[in-house]
Amino acid sequence: MSLPIFSSALANAGRRAALRPQVGVYACRQIHSSQSVSSPSTVPTSSTDPAVPITQIAKRGSNQLSLETPSNRAEYVLSTLDKIANWARQGSMWPMTFGLACCAVEMMHMAAARYDQDRLGVVFRASPRQSDIMIVAGTLTNKMAPALRKVYDQMPEPRWVISMGSCANGGGYYHYSYSVVRGCDRIVPVDIYVPGCPPTAEALLYGMLQLQRKMRRSRKGVLWYRK
Amino acid sequence: MVSLARTIRSIRRVGLREWWHQMQYIGDAKSGRLVGKDQFGNRYFENLNPEEEVPGRHRWVDFSQHDYNATQVPPEWHSWLHHIRKDPPTEDRVVQNLSPPWKAPWVENLTGTRGAFKTYNTTRPKYEAWQPKITARG
Repeated sequence: MSLPIFSSALANAGRRAALRPQVGVYACRQIHSSQSVSSPSTVPTSSTDPAVPITQIAKRGSNQLSLETPSNRAEYVLSTLDKIANWARQGSMWPMTFGLACCAVEMMHMAAARYDQDRLGVVFRASPRQSDIMIVAGTLTNKMAPALRKVYDQMPEPRWVISMGSCANGGGYYHYSYSVVRGCDRIVPVDIYVPGCPPTAEALLYGMLQLQRKMRRSRKGVLWYRK
Repeated sequence: MVSLARTIRSIRRVGLREWWHQMQYIGDAKSGRLVGKDQFGNRYFENLNPEEEVPGRHRWVDFSQHDYNATQVPPEWHSWLHHIRKDPPTEDRVVQNLSPPWKAPWVENLTGTRGAFKTYNTTRPKYEAWQPKITARG
Protein backbone atom coordinates (compact mmCIF):
# COMPACT_ATOMS: atom_id res chain seq x y z
CA MET A 1 0.00 0.00 0.00
CA SER A 2 1.22 3.47 0.75
CA LEU A 3 3.64 2.34 3.39
CA PRO A 4 6.83 3.75 1.74
CA ILE A 5 5.26 7.22 1.79
CA PHE A 6 4.73 7.07 5.55
CA SER A 7 8.13 5.71 6.31
CA SER A 8 9.73 8.42 4.18
CA ALA A 9 7.60 11.06 5.90
CA LEU A 10 8.70 9.75 9.28
CA ALA A 11 12.32 9.70 8.18
CA ASN A 12 11.96 13.27 6.94
CA ALA A 13 10.45 14.30 10.27
CA GLY A 14 13.42 12.79 12.04
CA ARG A 15 15.81 14.56 9.68
CA ARG A 16 14.03 17.84 10.19
CA ALA A 17 14.24 17.35 13.94
CA ALA A 18 17.95 16.68 13.65
CA LEU A 19 18.53 19.80 11.57
CA ARG A 20 16.46 22.04 13.79
CA PRO A 21 18.42 24.91 15.37
CA GLN A 22 19.07 24.46 19.06
CA VAL A 23 17.14 27.46 20.29
CA GLY A 24 14.05 28.50 22.12
CA VAL A 25 12.36 25.80 24.12
CA TYR A 26 14.71 23.28 22.51
CA ALA A 27 17.79 25.07 23.72
CA CYS A 28 19.95 23.37 26.34
CA ARG A 29 17.86 20.21 26.01
CA GLN A 30 20.43 18.39 23.91
CA ILE A 31 23.25 16.84 25.81
CA HIS A 32 25.96 17.76 23.31
CA SER A 33 25.18 21.06 21.72
CA SER A 34 28.01 22.83 19.97
CA GLN A 35 25.76 25.63 18.74
CA SER A 36 25.34 28.69 20.88
CA VAL A 37 22.01 29.04 22.66
CA SER A 38 21.49 32.59 21.43
CA SER A 39 21.50 31.77 17.72
CA PRO A 40 18.67 33.59 15.91
CA SER A 41 15.42 31.72 15.46
CA THR A 42 11.69 32.10 15.27
CA VAL A 43 10.78 29.46 17.85
CA PRO A 44 9.23 31.33 20.77
CA THR A 45 9.87 30.28 24.35
CA SER A 46 6.49 31.31 25.69
CA SER A 47 3.06 31.89 24.26
CA THR A 48 -0.02 33.65 25.56
CA ASP A 49 -2.28 32.64 22.71
CA PRO A 50 -4.74 29.94 23.85
CA ALA A 51 -5.14 28.83 20.22
CA VAL A 52 -1.40 28.14 19.86
CA PRO A 53 -0.24 27.23 23.37
CA ILE A 54 3.40 26.65 24.22
CA THR A 55 2.80 22.91 24.46
CA GLN A 56 1.81 22.94 20.78
CA ILE A 57 4.87 24.95 19.83
CA ALA A 58 7.12 22.63 21.79
CA LYS A 59 5.71 19.64 19.90
CA ARG A 60 6.48 21.02 16.43
CA GLY A 61 8.49 18.71 14.26
CA SER A 62 8.30 15.83 16.71
CA ASN A 63 7.32 12.28 15.85
CA GLN A 64 4.54 12.52 18.44
CA LEU A 65 2.88 15.37 16.55
CA SER A 66 3.19 13.40 13.33
CA LEU A 67 1.43 10.50 15.06
CA GLU A 68 -1.32 12.77 16.35
CA THR A 69 -2.07 14.26 12.93
CA PRO A 70 -3.76 11.58 10.82
CA SER A 71 -2.88 11.74 7.16
CA ASN A 72 -5.50 9.46 5.62
CA ARG A 73 -8.86 7.83 6.33
CA ALA A 74 -7.51 4.70 7.96
CA GLU A 75 -5.45 6.80 10.32
CA TYR A 76 -8.49 8.96 11.14
CA VAL A 77 -10.42 5.85 12.12
CA LEU A 78 -7.54 4.34 14.04
CA SER A 79 -6.70 7.50 15.91
CA THR A 80 -10.36 7.88 16.88
CA LEU A 81 -10.34 4.32 18.21
CA ASP A 82 -7.11 5.12 20.01
CA LYS A 83 -8.72 8.17 21.58
CA ILE A 84 -11.66 6.07 22.79
CA ALA A 85 -9.28 3.55 24.31
CA ASN A 86 -7.29 6.35 25.93
CA TRP A 87 -10.45 7.88 27.33
CA ALA A 88 -11.47 4.56 28.83
CA ARG A 89 -8.03 3.99 30.29
CA GLN A 90 -7.61 7.41 31.83
CA GLY A 91 -11.04 7.19 33.41
CA SER A 92 -10.22 4.11 35.47
CA MET A 93 -6.64 4.12 36.57
CA TRP A 94 -6.20 1.43 39.18
CA PRO A 95 -2.90 1.82 40.93
CA MET A 96 -1.09 -1.07 42.49
CA THR A 97 0.12 0.42 45.72
CA PHE A 98 3.73 -0.29 46.40
CA GLY A 99 4.05 1.67 49.64
CA LEU A 100 7.56 1.25 50.98
CA ALA A 101 8.12 4.19 53.31
CA CYS A 102 6.74 7.53 54.45
CA CYS A 103 5.64 8.39 50.89
CA ALA A 104 2.96 5.75 51.33
CA VAL A 105 1.31 7.97 53.94
CA GLU A 106 1.01 10.77 51.41
CA MET A 107 -0.30 8.24 48.92
CA MET A 108 -3.01 7.35 51.44
CA HIS A 109 -3.78 11.05 51.77
CA MET A 110 -4.47 11.12 48.06
CA ALA A 111 -7.14 8.51 48.64
CA ALA A 112 -8.61 10.34 51.64
CA ALA A 113 -11.37 12.89 51.71
CA ARG A 114 -9.47 16.02 50.76
CA TYR A 115 -7.88 14.96 47.48
CA ASP A 116 -10.46 12.22 46.96
CA GLN A 117 -8.93 10.17 44.15
CA ASP A 118 -12.13 8.25 43.52
CA ARG A 119 -13.60 11.20 41.65
CA LEU A 120 -10.93 10.58 38.97
CA GLY A 121 -11.61 6.88 38.89
CA VAL A 122 -8.38 6.09 40.71
CA VAL A 123 -8.99 3.12 42.97
CA PHE A 124 -6.25 1.33 44.90
CA ARG A 125 -6.14 -2.30 43.96
CA ALA A 126 -4.07 -4.67 46.00
CA SER A 127 -3.71 -7.23 43.24
CA PRO A 128 -1.11 -6.65 40.52
CA ARG A 129 -3.12 -8.71 38.05
CA GLN A 130 -6.01 -6.27 38.13
CA SER A 131 -4.15 -2.97 38.26
CA ASP A 132 -2.60 -0.93 35.50
CA ILE A 133 -0.46 1.58 37.36
CA MET A 134 2.17 0.95 39.98
CA ILE A 135 2.98 3.74 42.42
CA VAL A 136 6.42 3.07 43.87
CA ALA A 137 6.17 5.11 47.05
CA GLY A 138 9.29 5.14 49.13
CA THR A 139 12.80 3.77 49.45
CA LEU A 140 13.43 0.75 47.30
CA THR A 141 15.97 -1.48 49.02
CA ASN A 142 18.04 -4.17 47.40
CA LYS A 143 16.06 -6.76 49.27
CA MET A 144 12.74 -5.44 48.01
CA ALA A 145 13.87 -4.99 44.39
CA PRO A 146 13.19 -8.57 43.18
CA ALA A 147 9.72 -8.39 44.70
CA LEU A 148 9.06 -5.09 42.94
CA ARG A 149 10.13 -6.51 39.62
CA LYS A 150 8.02 -9.61 40.19
CA VAL A 151 4.94 -7.53 40.96
CA TYR A 152 5.60 -5.39 37.90
CA ASP A 153 5.91 -8.47 35.72
CA GLN A 154 2.58 -9.73 37.03
CA MET A 155 0.74 -6.61 35.92
CA PRO A 156 -1.09 -6.87 32.58
CA GLU A 157 -0.28 -4.61 29.65
CA PRO A 158 -0.70 -1.69 29.26
CA ARG A 159 0.94 -0.70 32.50
CA TRP A 160 2.49 2.43 33.85
CA VAL A 161 4.76 3.21 36.75
CA ILE A 162 4.78 6.32 38.89
CA SER A 163 7.93 6.83 40.90
CA MET A 164 7.02 8.82 43.97
CA GLY A 165 9.50 10.73 46.09
CA SER A 166 13.24 11.28 46.08
CA CYS A 167 14.10 7.77 47.24
CA ALA A 168 12.22 6.07 44.42
CA ASN A 169 13.40 8.64 41.87
CA GLY A 170 17.09 8.32 42.51
CA GLY A 171 17.88 6.96 45.91
CA GLY A 172 17.38 10.33 47.56
CA TYR A 173 18.64 10.51 51.10
CA TYR A 174 19.85 6.92 50.94
CA HIS A 175 21.64 7.27 47.63
CA TYR A 176 25.01 6.28 49.13
CA SER A 177 23.63 3.51 51.30
CA TYR A 178 24.91 -0.02 50.73
CA SER A 179 21.46 -1.54 50.67
CA VAL A 180 19.33 0.85 48.62
CA VAL A 181 18.59 0.81 44.89
CA ARG A 182 19.59 4.18 43.45
CA GLY A 183 16.24 4.85 41.83
CA CYS A 184 13.49 2.41 41.00
CA ASP A 185 14.08 3.13 37.30
CA ARG A 186 16.95 0.69 37.55
CA ILE A 187 14.39 -2.04 38.15
CA VAL A 188 11.26 -1.00 36.24
CA PRO A 189 10.62 1.53 33.45
CA VAL A 190 9.15 4.68 34.99
CA ASP A 191 6.60 6.95 33.32
CA ILE A 192 6.14 9.75 35.82
CA TYR A 193 8.61 10.96 38.42
CA VAL A 194 7.02 12.87 41.28
CA PRO A 195 9.68 14.90 43.10
CA GLY A 196 9.57 15.66 46.81
CA CYS A 197 10.56 14.17 50.12
CA PRO A 198 7.83 13.11 50.53
CA PRO A 199 5.74 14.72 47.75
CA THR A 200 2.47 16.15 48.94
CA ALA A 201 -0.71 14.31 48.13
CA GLU A 202 -1.46 17.21 45.80
CA ALA A 203 1.81 16.63 43.95
CA LEU A 204 1.05 12.95 43.56
CA LEU A 205 -2.43 13.74 42.29
CA TYR A 206 -0.88 16.16 39.81
CA GLY A 207 1.41 13.31 38.78
CA MET A 208 -1.65 11.15 38.19
CA LEU A 209 -3.11 13.91 36.01
CA GLN A 210 0.15 14.09 34.08
CA LEU A 211 -0.05 10.36 33.58
CA GLN A 212 -3.55 10.87 32.19
CA ARG A 213 -1.98 13.36 29.79
CA LYS A 214 0.55 10.74 28.80
CA MET A 215 -2.22 8.18 28.28
CA ARG A 216 -4.07 10.64 26.03
CA ARG A 217 -1.00 10.92 23.82
CA SER A 218 -0.96 7.20 23.09
CA ARG A 219 -1.60 6.26 19.43
CA LYS A 220 -0.99 2.55 19.41
CA GLY A 221 -3.31 1.85 16.48
CA VAL A 222 -1.81 4.52 14.26
CA LEU A 223 1.66 3.30 15.17
CA TRP A 224 0.70 -0.23 14.24
CA TYR A 225 -0.75 0.95 10.91
CA ARG A 226 2.30 3.00 10.01
CA LYS A 227 4.60 0.12 10.74
CA MET B 1 -24.29 22.74 47.80
CA VAL B 2 -25.41 21.31 44.49
CA SER B 3 -29.13 21.57 44.12
CA LEU B 4 -31.61 21.94 41.30
CA ALA B 5 -32.48 25.48 42.39
CA ARG B 6 -28.81 26.48 42.39
CA THR B 7 -28.24 24.94 38.96
CA ILE B 8 -31.24 26.73 37.49
CA ARG B 9 -30.15 29.99 39.12
CA SER B 10 -26.67 29.62 37.67
CA ILE B 11 -28.00 28.80 34.21
CA ARG B 12 -30.22 31.88 34.31
CA ARG B 13 -27.23 33.99 35.25
CA VAL B 14 -24.55 32.70 32.89
CA GLY B 15 -26.63 31.44 29.98
CA LEU B 16 -27.03 28.01 28.44
CA ARG B 17 -23.85 28.15 26.37
CA GLU B 18 -21.63 29.02 29.33
CA TRP B 19 -23.39 26.40 31.45
CA TRP B 20 -22.62 23.73 28.88
CA HIS B 21 -18.99 24.85 28.81
CA GLN B 22 -18.86 24.69 32.61
CA MET B 23 -20.33 21.21 32.67
CA GLN B 24 -17.66 20.05 30.21
CA TYR B 25 -14.70 21.58 32.01
CA ILE B 26 -15.62 22.31 35.63
CA GLY B 27 -18.36 19.73 36.09
CA ASP B 28 -20.59 22.03 38.08
CA ALA B 29 -22.92 24.92 37.34
CA LYS B 30 -21.25 27.92 38.93
CA SER B 31 -21.92 31.61 38.78
CA GLY B 32 -20.00 34.46 40.25
CA ARG B 33 -18.15 37.70 39.77
CA LEU B 34 -15.53 37.69 36.99
CA VAL B 35 -12.50 38.90 38.90
CA GLY B 36 -10.07 39.01 36.03
CA LYS B 37 -8.30 37.40 33.13
CA ASP B 38 -4.64 36.50 32.95
CA GLN B 39 -2.29 36.77 29.97
CA PHE B 40 -3.26 33.28 28.78
CA GLY B 41 -6.95 34.08 28.69
CA ASN B 42 -7.87 32.01 31.76
CA ARG B 43 -10.82 33.56 33.58
CA TYR B 44 -10.97 33.79 37.35
CA PHE B 45 -14.21 33.92 39.30
CA GLU B 46 -15.30 34.48 42.85
CA ASN B 47 -18.59 34.04 44.65
CA LEU B 48 -18.52 34.89 48.32
CA ASN B 49 -22.16 34.07 48.99
CA PRO B 50 -22.10 30.95 51.23
CA GLU B 51 -25.65 30.12 50.16
CA GLU B 52 -24.50 29.69 46.55
CA GLU B 53 -20.98 28.32 46.84
CA VAL B 54 -19.58 26.17 49.62
CA PRO B 55 -16.82 28.15 51.34
CA GLY B 56 -13.61 26.69 49.90
CA ARG B 57 -15.11 26.44 46.44
CA HIS B 58 -15.69 30.17 46.22
CA ARG B 59 -12.73 30.97 43.95
CA TRP B 60 -12.27 29.10 40.71
CA VAL B 61 -10.58 29.30 37.34
CA ASP B 62 -11.98 28.61 33.91
CA PHE B 63 -9.09 27.53 31.70
CA SER B 64 -8.80 28.84 28.16
CA GLN B 65 -7.16 25.71 26.77
CA HIS B 66 -8.90 22.46 26.07
CA ASP B 67 -5.98 20.47 27.50
CA TYR B 68 -5.88 22.22 30.81
CA ASN B 69 -3.70 21.61 33.80
CA ALA B 70 -2.95 23.46 36.99
CA THR B 71 0.38 24.87 35.84
CA GLN B 72 -1.38 27.06 33.31
CA VAL B 73 -2.22 29.40 36.16
CA PRO B 74 0.55 32.02 36.47
CA PRO B 75 2.01 32.55 39.96
CA GLU B 76 0.24 35.87 40.64
CA TRP B 77 -3.15 34.33 40.05
CA HIS B 78 -2.12 31.13 41.80
CA SER B 79 -1.52 33.10 44.97
CA TRP B 80 -4.97 34.60 44.72
CA LEU B 81 -6.67 31.33 43.78
CA HIS B 82 -5.15 29.51 46.74
CA HIS B 83 -5.74 32.30 49.24
CA ILE B 84 -2.08 33.14 49.66
CA ARG B 85 -3.04 36.75 48.93
CA LYS B 86 -6.38 38.31 49.67
CA ASP B 87 -6.69 40.56 46.62
CA PRO B 88 -6.43 39.52 42.98
CA PRO B 89 -3.35 40.76 41.07
CA THR B 90 -5.55 43.27 39.25
CA GLU B 91 -6.11 45.07 42.55
CA ASP B 92 -3.11 44.06 44.64
CA ARG B 93 -0.59 46.92 44.57
CA VAL B 94 2.14 44.78 46.13
CA VAL B 95 1.95 42.10 43.43
CA GLN B 96 1.75 44.75 40.70
CA ASN B 97 4.88 46.55 41.92
CA LEU B 98 6.74 43.31 42.48
CA SER B 99 8.35 42.48 39.19
CA PRO B 100 12.03 41.68 39.63
CA PRO B 101 14.24 42.10 36.55
CA TRP B 102 15.18 38.42 36.52
CA LYS B 103 11.60 37.27 36.30
CA ALA B 104 10.99 35.15 33.18
CA PRO B 105 7.63 34.81 31.44
CA TRP B 106 5.53 32.04 32.93
CA VAL B 107 5.64 28.76 31.01
CA GLU B 108 3.38 25.86 31.84
CA ASN B 109 4.56 22.31 32.43
CA LEU B 110 6.10 21.07 29.17
CA THR B 111 6.54 17.45 30.20
CA GLY B 112 6.09 15.02 27.35
CA THR B 113 7.01 17.60 24.71
CA ARG B 114 10.38 18.55 23.28
CA GLY B 115 10.50 21.43 25.72
CA ALA B 116 10.54 19.08 28.71
CA PHE B 117 13.12 19.83 31.35
CA LYS B 118 16.28 17.81 31.21
CA THR B 119 19.20 18.47 33.43
CA TYR B 120 22.23 19.72 31.53
CA ASN B 121 24.77 16.96 31.69
CA THR B 122 27.89 16.17 29.68
CA THR B 123 29.13 13.12 31.57
CA ARG B 124 29.01 9.63 30.14
CA PRO B 125 26.10 7.64 31.57
CA LYS B 126 27.31 5.40 34.39
CA TYR B 127 24.95 2.58 33.67
CA GLU B 128 22.95 1.24 30.75
CA ALA B 129 19.27 0.37 30.62
CA TRP B 130 18.70 -3.18 31.68
CA GLN B 131 18.24 -5.67 28.86
CA PRO B 132 16.62 -8.70 30.44
CA LYS B 133 18.10 -11.98 29.28
CA ILE B 134 16.33 -15.24 29.96
CA THR B 135 18.58 -18.17 30.62
CA ALA B 136 17.43 -21.73 30.16
CA ARG B 137 16.43 -23.39 33.40
CA GLY B 138 17.64 -26.78 34.48
